[in-house]
Amino acid sequence: MEPSLPFDHRADPELGAALRAALEPADPAPFVARVLAQAELTRARRRDVPTWDILARWARAGIAAAVAAALVAGFAMGRAMQSRATLDDVMVASAGAGANALLSSPRAPDASVVFTSLVERER
Amino acid sequence: MQSDPPAQLPGGVARIPDRDEAELAARARAGDRAAFGTLVERFAPQARRIARAVLQNPDDADDAAQDAFLSALVKLDQYDPRRPFGPWLMRIVANAATDRRRRRAVRQAEALEPELAGGGSRPDLDAERRALGERLRAALAQLPERRRLAVVLFDVEGYSHAEIADILSIPEGTARSEVFHARRTLRSLLQDWKEGE
Repeated sequence: MEPSLPFDHRADPELGAALRAALEPADPAPFVARVLAQAELTRARRRDVPTWDILARWARAGIAAAVAAALVAGFAMGRAMQSRATLDDVMVASAGAGANALLSSPRAPDASVVFTSLVERER
Repeated sequence: MQSDPPAQLPGGVARIPDRDEAELAARARAGDRAAFGTLVERFAPQARRIARAVLQNPDDADDAAQDAFLSALVKLDQYDPRRPFGPWLMRIVANAATDRRRRRAVRQAEALEPELAGGGSRPDLDAERRALGERLRAALAQLPERRRLAVVLFDVEGYSHAEIADILSIPEGTARSEVFHARRTLRSLLQDWKEGE
């Protein structure tokens, strides 16, 4: 082996061959098969990750929408509860004195009360 | 001062044309399993040698080389097809091996087998080669990691100084210097071996 000049740009075949032999790996086929099998798993995982991301995004949007809908529904129900009125309340509020007496009397109305109520309606 | 890679690698292995590599990489990136398989088949021996130069232990080296291939598969969109694929991949291999070495306490002493101490009867040719291999691996293990990678990339894998500089992320002059110093050590060892025969 010739001593080389500093920074010799040529490969040294003898040293290269000796190093290659020293580092030569075992049968390549099992290694290649192993790498390709792992690559399939990696691909499968990469395919799965976006799916989960999308589902997570959907879930986040869904939860936000559900919360908003619940708030709106709660608000509406609250308003409805506050303004709940019976049929009698409505009729009494919109009726005249005769109808008022007719509706609010605990006893069965006599004919004069019914007549007064009808006359008020005609007016 | 050349930097062009040779058309043929040491050991008579033909260098894969860059365009071919780029096309295979593009197809692999698009999900072509066969193209990725071809790249793995072509570069597996080289990747395993590079990883072994760092890690010494062949099993660790194979794990690192596998990590590197899988990492390359994920990063294929970062590969610039105008540049050769080999240095890009070997950079990933070298990094994967270095990372693994850092994670695991690799005892370099494990690479030194007691076979070397054996005197006695003259070994046959295979045993001689094995013993030389052991000595070379032991000598490589004594070199700083970057130096041992540089000499393996240059003399075994046929990369140019510029490509080695790119792979190891060092200036080209430093790559030359590393190859030079590694060669000096290893040649001296080889010389002693031959004289001792």
